Amino acid sequence: MRGEKLRLRLRDVRLTSVFRLTAILGSTFLIGIVVLLGLIYGLTARELTRRSDYILRQEARQWLAVPAAARQARIAADKGRGDEALSYVALFSRRGERLAGDLGDVALPPADRPIEVEAAGDHGPARLLTVATPDGETIVVGRDITPLRDLRQRLLIILLASGMVTVSGMALAATLLSLEPQRRVRDLQRSAREIAAGRLDTRMPIAGRHDELDQFAQTVNLMVEDVARLMDQVKGVTDAIAHDLRTPLTRVRAQLHRARHLSEGADDLAPLLASAEGDLDLALNRFAALLRISEIEAGARRAAFAPTDMARLLAEIVILYEPLAEEGGITLAADVGALPDISADRHLLFEAISNLVDNAIKFSRGAVTITASVRNAAMIVEISDDGPGIAAGERDAALRRFHRGAKAAGYPGTGLGLSIAAAILTLHGFALELDDAAPGLIARVHIPIA
Amino acid sequence: MARILVIEDDATTAREIAMALAGHGHEVVVAQDGTAALQRAIQEHYDAITLDRMLPGMDGLGIVAALRRRRIMTPVLMISALTDVDARIAGLRAGGDDYMIKPFAPNEMAARVEVMLRRAATPGDQAAITVGPLRIDLIRRQVWIDGQPVKLLHMEFRLLAFLAQNAGQIVSRQLIFEQVWGYYFDPGANVINVHIARLRRKLDQPGQPSLITTIKNEGYRFNTGRFDAG
Repeated sequence: MRGEKLRLRLRDVRLTSVFRLTAILGSTFLIGIVVLLGLIYGLTARELTRRSDYILRQEARQWLAVPAAARQARIAADKGRGDEALSYVALFSRRGERLAGDLGDVALPPADRPIEVEAAGDHGPARLLTVATPDGETIVVGRDITPLRDLRQRLLIILLASGMVTVSGMALAATLLSLEPQRRVRDLQRSAREIAAGRLDTRMPIAGRHDELDQFAQTVNLMVEDVARLMDQVKGVTDAIAHDLRTPLTRVRAQLHRARHLSEGADDLAPLLASAEGDLDLALNRFAALLRISEIEAGARRAAFAPTDMARLLAEIVILYEPLAEEGGITLAADVGALPDISADRHLLFEAISNLVDNAIKFSRGAVTITASVRNAAMIVEISDDGPGIAAGERDAALRRFHRGAKAAGYPGTGLGLSIAAAILTLHGFALELDDAAPGLIARVHIPIA
Repeated sequence: MARILVIEDDATTAREIAMALAGHGHEVVVAQDGTAALQRAIQEHYDAITLDRMLPGMDGLGIVAALRRRRIMTPVLMISALTDVDARIAGLRAGGDDYMIKPFAPNEMAARVEVMLRRAATPGDQAAITVGPLRIDLIRRQVWIDGQPVKLLHMEFRLLAFLAQNAGQIVSRQLIFEQVWGYYFDPGANVINVHIARLRRKLDQPGQPSLITTIKNEGYRFNTGRFDAG
């Protein structure tokens, strides 16, 4: 929960709905431009080609009208005309030899169908039309299509350039438009996390624009106010129960205690009183543990959070529990490397891990191992035993209050140890997971490192 | 004999506290109202105060804070029905010396008062404790029994020092855990029992009664002499 930084990141901007909408709109717009320019380009190119072909046919008709005898000379003379540099004409013999004209060696196209060639003799790209004369010769007329090609190329460049400008403009607009909502969402997230961490006096920020984010924030604020009011009521009830029950119980306990001392020597009475006192203590301990879980779950005890040396804390726990393990013939071993400090309430964390270790020793057959290491920005603390373990389906229930596993019969305990540990770890934003040690149980604590 | 002010609004509880303290040979004065109690605590001398956290007139926290502001450093045992995880910290921060949660065994309460009184009476730079055959050098952290050195681990030494400092006094497992380990939850009786058992194995001599006596349902007592074991 904590430790995760709330920063504006471009990677996140990509995922915003504003960015997505702008991108969709921009893409539609872009497709429109491409289609429009493509249409303009296609129609223009077609029209230019059509005109070019018309001119070619006109020219061919004119040349066919020239008498056969004069044709060769006229074509040779025509070649010299400078003002017709864009149009070519050539006359080929029946055997395909060039008789006159300004087309170099060129593969003759089939008659009456205009085609484009990349080069016509010394000339650049051209459109050629071949016609056969009645006497079996071939006239080829051609037009230089370089201007047409230039136009095509320019249109293509315009198309690409405008496309690129549109795409980058769109991306920029989408990013800029996303930043502000993203910033607001980040602020909302920050407030939500504070509220989730128990600071119920925090409210969602409202920008005053009455937009959907503001409406959402207002709704959440109303909810938080309700929750805070309810929590206050519960807290009041809990305190009242604590006070109203404990005061009479204190009297009972004290009076029992005195009665037991007064009855010393009365052999039949003393054991009864001692037993009553023991049972009362047991009930009181469970009562205290239950209240404690409720308080931990309801509370926002951040005041006592401080940098905590986990390796040292685990070492202290090993020292505390090692004699207990040894007495039960169990080896308690710890494998703890260098660990960074974590933000925690040392007293509560000690209690939580102690409960896990106590539980492991209780169920172990021969060995309890504590390991702690840092993996992927998280500290993992594992307490594993080689006892009967907990069936996969029962593990979640094991963290609930008063749950005693099917295999726990015959072991002492109130069934609250794991619940207290879970409540404390949840308060810290740490996760407790139960896993199979095959055989036995692993209690695994995930501690995010800021 | 010490003079103790008991501030408690519930008459029955106050009587039980007073009787337990009187049983330890102390003179007890009971006050039931917060404001009146503060006046007494300021005007008269007491060696220790037990203070209920929730009182009519004035809150327990307010009383202890008011005393400390007037530089009255009488040791205060706060007694509260509030188990709130922050309540102990608030109590100790306001200036309380110890914090106890209701319901409690009167003997446990009396033992805590004794521990407070002894701590207040002991100079801070106390160098050594001698109890019966045992001698503890608190500075060099060394222990001798009948002149023979005994090797103890760090926590064993702290445990022994605490027991010896309160020799003759019954101390509960909870009190031992709080004072020696410095944590405030119930680790279960067995955890403390095995530490005591280890200490006994290192200290006790064959054929001699143990230096540490188990008091059923209550805790342990470090014996002031070898032969006063009960």
